[in-house]
Amino acid sequence: MQSLSRERTESTALPDTIGKKSGGGYWGRFPTVARYAVLVLALLGAWQLYVSLSGTQALILPGPVDVAKAFVEGWADGRLASATLKTLCIGMVIGMAVALILTAFATWTKVGEDLLSLLTSMLNPVPAIAILPLAILWFGLNPTALIFVIVYSITWPIAINVSTGFETVNPTLVMVGRNLGLGGWRMAGDVLFPAALPHTISGLRTGWAFGWRTIVAAELVFGVAGKGGGLGFFINDARYFLRIPEVFAGIVTIALIGILIEAIFNAVERRTVIRWGMMNG
Amino acid sequence: MLDTREKQGLRCGYPLLSVENVKLGYRVNGHTNVAVGNAGFQVWPGEKVMLLGPSGCGKSTLLKAVAGFLEPEDGVISFAGRQDLRPGPDRAVVFQEFDQLFPWRTVLENVAYPLRATGRSRDEASEKARRFVELTGLSHAVDRYPHQLSGGMKQRVAIARALALEPRMLLMDEPFGSLDAQTRARLQKELNEVTRRTEVTVLFVTHSIQEALVLGDRVVVLGHAPSEVREVLEVTGAAGDLDSKRFAWTRRQLCNLLAEDGEEVDDAVFE
Repeated sequence: MQSLSRERTESTALPDTIGKKSGGGYWGRFPTVARYAVLVLALLGAWQLYVSLSGTQALILPGPVDVAKAFVEGWADGRLASATLKTLCIGMVIGMAVALILTAFATWTKVGEDLLSLLTSMLNPVPAIAILPLAILWFGLNPTALIFVIVYSITWPIAINVSTGFETVNPTLVMVGRNLGLGGWRMAGDVLFPAALPHTISGLRTGWAFGWRTIVAAELVFGVAGKGGGLGFFINDARYFLRIPEVFAGIVTIALIGILIEAIFNAVERRTVIRWGMMNG
Repeated sequence: MLDTREKQGLRCGYPLLSVENVKLGYRVNGHTNVAVGNAGFQVWPGEKVMLLGPSGCGKSTLLKAVAGFLEPEDGVISFAGRQDLRPGPDRAVVFQEFDQLFPWRTVLENVAYPLRATGRSRDEASEKARRFVELTGLSHAVDRYPHQLSGGMKQRVAIARALALEPRMLLMDEPFGSLDAQTRARLQKELNEVTRRTEVTVLFVTHSIQEALVLGDRVVVLGHAPSEVREVLEVTGAAGDLDSKRFAWTRRQLCNLLAEDGEEVDDAVFE
């Protein structure tokens, strides 16, 4: 059976030439970092060129240099993202704890399993930003409301993924653990948790992405209400006082933090589940 | 090294494992599917006993019951005088599946971890792990992760891991069943060598007559499910001379036993 299916995949495999970009020869020889650096510089250059030559008002479209200045200043005085990151971290930690409790409950009891599947199917389709009005009503215009919506947004993807991870642990590994006479905690820590790690990481990745989008959106709403700090407030405040480079700096910050966190997840995966062959790189 | 007669001589006193009138089943939708109807046999220390039977006859189920993974519906399994069998490292199991190794541990860690988990010191675990990895010919691969190994190497690691625990009995559930014929033959030879050196007692499940003859001292032949023990055959040394009359006779005997229900016995399993 095994060899049969292998033959089949081989016969349907694409010929070498398909899927390869033409003209990749010269460009493709440079290292990845260099290729991307050249592209980024080219885009920035085009931007600066357009701003200098077209005579657009700096009020509408500031040049990259102005944006970079605003970016550095915003980071230097901490107005730009420190409040946002702090709120996000608190939200992530609480959300992970809630997800962990739900998952543990779901793994050990049938009631918990049903409860988790009911809650996720009911609440997961509701975007976290949709419950922001409720959060403001309950907690007021303050960080607690923000933390509440972040916790809400990240709990479900993490809980779903982690519990799927535990449910799909290879039964042979569990038997190996039982054969060694491992107790509950050791079994969980040494066998179940590492075996569920690929799902756990992808749950955290999704949770983080949800949380990040949610906090930016929620802060923008707060910014419109003229309250609080953080990225969303920074962008709205800058717009209000026509400090347009700062608006751009805010958007760039959002992109950069997103890229940075993705890179961290990628690095963690390379060092763990990809290295162990539990996930394809 | 013990020859046949000495081994039979040892078979006075108490067996290490005794299976008596054991009935085994698993529950499907509330009613019990009987896999093993009535099984009985004994295993004495130092012996290699093969459980041979057609696919689906419950031989793996029987092995899992000895390992303590499931309880008999009826009858008694007693191991070293104990009857309340729970899974334990004194009956180390080698499974058929290649993915029985921990993917996040290297070859050496896969062998050392069970030793640590069963209370050996760090030094002892690492020293023993190295010794058994070497014994199974994997010294060059100690730092590799399981996904970097071939199927045959994975099974070697699993055998090293089980042997390192120094179990009173090694339980093997068709460990070579998913290997190609060449690798299987090589691993059978290696297993014989290793079990000779460690003098471990082995209970080995297989559906291959060839394997039973090459590895076993005795063969317990099971019929179709709900299975009973059809015959227990002495085969020690039968495979020593593949052309001998005794070998041909034993092989014929086993073929006949397996084919009793008019079933075609695939001679391809005998290479």
